[in-house]
Amino acid sequence: MDRGKKNIAVCLAFAFVLGGGFFASLWMPKAGYSYSERRKLAEKPQLTVRTLWEGRFMEGFEEYLQDTFPFREGFRRAKALAAKNVFFRQDNHGLYTVDGWIAAVEYPMHEEALAYAASRFHYIFEEYLDEDNQVFLSVIPDKNCFLAEGSGHLSMDYAAFEKSMAEKVSFASYIPISDLLEREDYYKTDTHWRQERITDVAERLAQAMGAELSGKYQAHTLAQDFYGVYYGQAALPLAPDRLQYLTGASMEGCRVYDWQNGRGIGVYDMEKAAGADPYEIFLSGPLSYVSIENPKAPKDKKLVVFRDSFGSSLAPLLISGYSEIALVDIRYLHPAHLGRFLDFEGRDVLFLYSTSVLNNSNTMK
Amino acid sequence: MLFSSLTFLYYFLPVAVGLYFLVPRRARNGVLLLCSLVFYAWGEPKYVLLMGVTILLGYGFGLLVGKHREGKCGKAFCILSVAASLSFLLYFKYADFILGSIHDATGWDIPLLGVTLPIGISFYTFQMVSYTVDVYRGEEAQKSLVGLAAYIAMFPQLVAGPIVRYSSIAKQLGDRRHSWGLAAYGIRRFVIGLAKKALLANQLGEACSQLQAMGGESVLSYWLDAAAFTLQIYFDFSGYSDMAIGLGSLFGFRFQENFRYPYVAASITEFWRRWHISLGSWFRDYVYIPLGGNRKGWKRQVLNILAVWVLTGFWHGASWNFLAWGLFFAVLLIAEKLWLLKRLQKSKVLSHAYTMFSVMLGFLLFQAGSLGQALDGIGGLFGAGGIPLASEEALYCLRSYAVVLLAGGIGATPIVRDVARRVKAAPAEPLFVAVLLLTVTAYLVDGSFNPFLYFRF
Repeated sequence: MDRGKKNIAVCLAFAFVLGGGFFASLWMPKAGYSYSERRKLAEKPQLTVRTLWEGRFMEGFEEYLQDTFPFREGFRRAKALAAKNVFFRQDNHGLYTVDGWIAAVEYPMHEEALAYAASRFHYIFEEYLDEDNQVFLSVIPDKNCFLAEGSGHLSMDYAAFEKSMAEKVSFASYIPISDLLEREDYYKTDTHWRQERITDVAERLAQAMGAELSGKYQAHTLAQDFYGVYYGQAALPLAPDRLQYLTGASMEGCRVYDWQNGRGIGVYDMEKAAGADPYEIFLSGPLSYVSIENPKAPKDKKLVVFRDSFGSSLAPLLISGYSEIALVDIRYLHPAHLGRFLDFEGRDVLFLYSTSVLNNSNTMK
Repeated sequence: MLFSSLTFLYYFLPVAVGLYFLVPRRARNGVLLLCSLVFYAWGEPKYVLLMGVTILLGYGFGLLVGKHREGKCGKAFCILSVAASLSFLLYFKYADFILGSIHDATGWDIPLLGVTLPIGISFYTFQMVSYTVDVYRGEEAQKSLVGLAAYIAMFPQLVAGPIVRYSSIAKQLGDRRHSWGLAAYGIRRFVIGLAKKALLANQLGEACSQLQAMGGESVLSYWLDAAAFTLQIYFDFSGYSDMAIGLGSLFGFRFQENFRYPYVAASITEFWRRWHISLGSWFRDYVYIPLGGNRKGWKRQVLNILAVWVLTGFWHGASWNFLAWGLFFAVLLIAEKLWLLKRLQKSKVLSHAYTMFSVMLGFLLFQAGSLGQALDGIGGLFGAGGIPLASEEALYCLRSYAVVLLAGGIGATPIVRDVARRVKAAPAEPLFVAVLLLTVTAYLVDGSFNPFLYFRF
C-alpha cells in the first residue's frame, strides 16, 4: 500500500471506530441494570441551566456514558483479558483466578475495622444481654485464605485475625471453624460457601452451643447455571457453578417470617433462582431481620444469630436444633431498634461473620 | 473534559472534527473556538468567563501594544497586559498560599479565600503573556478577536500544554493547510498518546496507590513507588502532549515538540532540554534572557538561573515542596555549568545514573504533599527508620506491575520510536491503530475517573 493510501486508511480506521462508537452510543438501547455487576447503571442526567452551571450534568453524563457504552461487557472482558494475559497483572480490580476459582485479595487486615465491629457487638452485649445468655463468636474465612498461599497473592494472617477478634469480643466464646473449610467448600465464581459442604460447620457450631442437630438432608441442584458475584466483577470467561441446596424433615413445617417486609417466606425462595443473584434463594437474600420457628425442636433452645450473607445458607442447617432462630443483619438494621421486637431472654447469641465483612466493618450500623 | 474519556473520544471529537471540516475555511477558527469553549466549560463552566476576560484584555492590549510599539506607551501597555494576566494567576493560584504562609510566619489569624484553581490557567496565562510580548517584539497583533480567542482557548493544548507561542502559530491562525498526510500523522500521535496515558500511566498510578494503600514499608517499596511515579508522570504528561500535537495536526496546526526522551539524558542540563520543552523555552525567552542570561558574568548568570527555577517551581504549584523542587534543579544546573558537566562526560554510565537518580529525587519532592513527606520518601530509599529491605507487599506489587514497569522503561527510550517506525511501515498499520484505540476504549469503559497529573498546574 503506498503512503498516500495508507494515510487515508489510517484516517478511515480512526473515523470508523470513533464514528461507529458515536452512532452506536446514540442509537443502541441502553440497559438500566448490570446483571454481571449486580448494580443499577447510571441514568442520563437532567439537562438544566442549573445542572450545567454547577457541572453536575457533565459529571453525570460521564458516568452515564461509561455505564451504558455499547458492548460494555465485551470491553470489560477485553480489558480483564489484557490485564491477565498481556500485562500479567496479579489481580484485576483486586480479583484473581486460580484453577477457575475467583477470589478477592482481602488485604491488609484493618485492625480499626475489627475494633469497630467488636464495638458494635459490645454495644449489643451491653444493651440487651446478661449472664443468662450464652454468647458465641465465629469467624468465616474468605476464599483468599485458601487460594492466596499457593498462588503468590497477598493474604492476611487469618490465625491472627481470629485471635484478634476473639480477644476484642472477650464476652463471647470463640468457636473456630476455619479448620473445617477448604477452597472446594466455596463457589468458584461467588464469594460464599456452598451449603451442601458446610454441614460439618453447622454441627461444630451447634455442638459448641449445646444444641443437637438431627436429620438427614437431601441435596437439590438448581437447573440453571450459577454465575456468582465475582464472575461479573472479574469479567473473565470462566465456567459457571451449580448451586445446590439441602432440604430435610426438620425444615418441613417450620415458619419463616421476613420482618423487614412483613411477610411469611420459605426457607428457600425459589423465585430468586432465576433472579440476578441465585444465592438469594437462601432465606430470600439480604434481609435485616428474619425469624424461623420450628415447632418440632426442643422449646428451650432459642438462638439469635447476628450475621452477614454467609449466615443465610448456614441457618437452615441449624433449624433442627432450635425452636426459634432470629437472624439479624446489623448492616441494614441499627441495633438500637432491636429491643422493640426481639426478646433476648434465655436465648443463645451467635455472632457469625465473614472476614470480608469484619475487615470492612464500616457497613455495620 | 479529559482526552482520555469516552465523552471526548466518542462524542466531542467526532462532532468537533465533523463540524470543522464541514464549514467553509474562513469559519474554521470560529468552530474551533466554539468547540474549545464547550470543551473547557465541560470541566469548568464558571471559569469560562475568567478565560473570556483574559482573552478580551489580551486582545485590547495586543492592539494597543501593536499600535504604540515604537513609543513609550507600547512598553507600558505591554507591562500592563502582562500584569493583568499574571494578576489573575496570582489570585487564583497563589492567594491562599501567600495568606497561609503569612499566617505560618506571624501567627496572624488570616482567613483563607478558598479559591478553586481554574484548570489550565497556568498554561493559558503564559500563552497570553507570550502573545503580548511577541507583539511588543515585532509580531503583528491579531486583528481578529476570534483568531486570538481560538489561539488562547484552542482545546488541544488548552489545559495541559504544550505552551504554544504566538509567534510560532500566528501565520497558521490565518492560513493553514490540511491533508490526509497531516491528519494521519495527527491520528497516529493522538492514539499513541492515548495509549501512553490509558495503558501505561494509569496502571503506574495504580501501582503507586496500591503501594501506599497496602502499607508494608520497605526499601523496595520506596524504590518501586519512586520508579513507578517517575514513569507515570512521563507517560501521563508526554502522552497528553502527544495527543495535543496530534489533535493540532488534525486541525492543521504544527505545535512544538514537548518531550524528546528525557530519561535518556546524561545530565540535568540535557534532561531539561528534553522535558517540558515548551515551558523551558518559555522561561528562557521571556525571563532568563531578558534578565541578562549568561551575558553579564557568571555571578549574574547564577542569580538568573535561581530566579528562573524559583519561578518554575512555583509555576508547578503553590507550595514549598515545589519551590524546593525548583531550587533542587537550580543547584544541579549551576553545579553542572560550573564544573560537574565536564566530569560527567567522562563516564556514560555514571552520568546516566546520576541524572536518573536526581530526576527521581526531584519527582519525590514533586509528588509529596509536603516537604516532610518528601524527606520521608527520600529517607525510605535508603532504609531510614530501620525499615526492611523488602516486604511481602512490595514483592507482590513488583510481580503485579513488572510488565508495566518494563514496558514503561523501554517505552521511555528511543527504542520505541524504532518500533513505531516498523509498525508505520507495515501494511496492517490502520488495523493496528483501530485495535489500539479499541484496547484503550476497553480500559476506559472499565476504568474510573483518571485526570492528568498536569491538570493541577
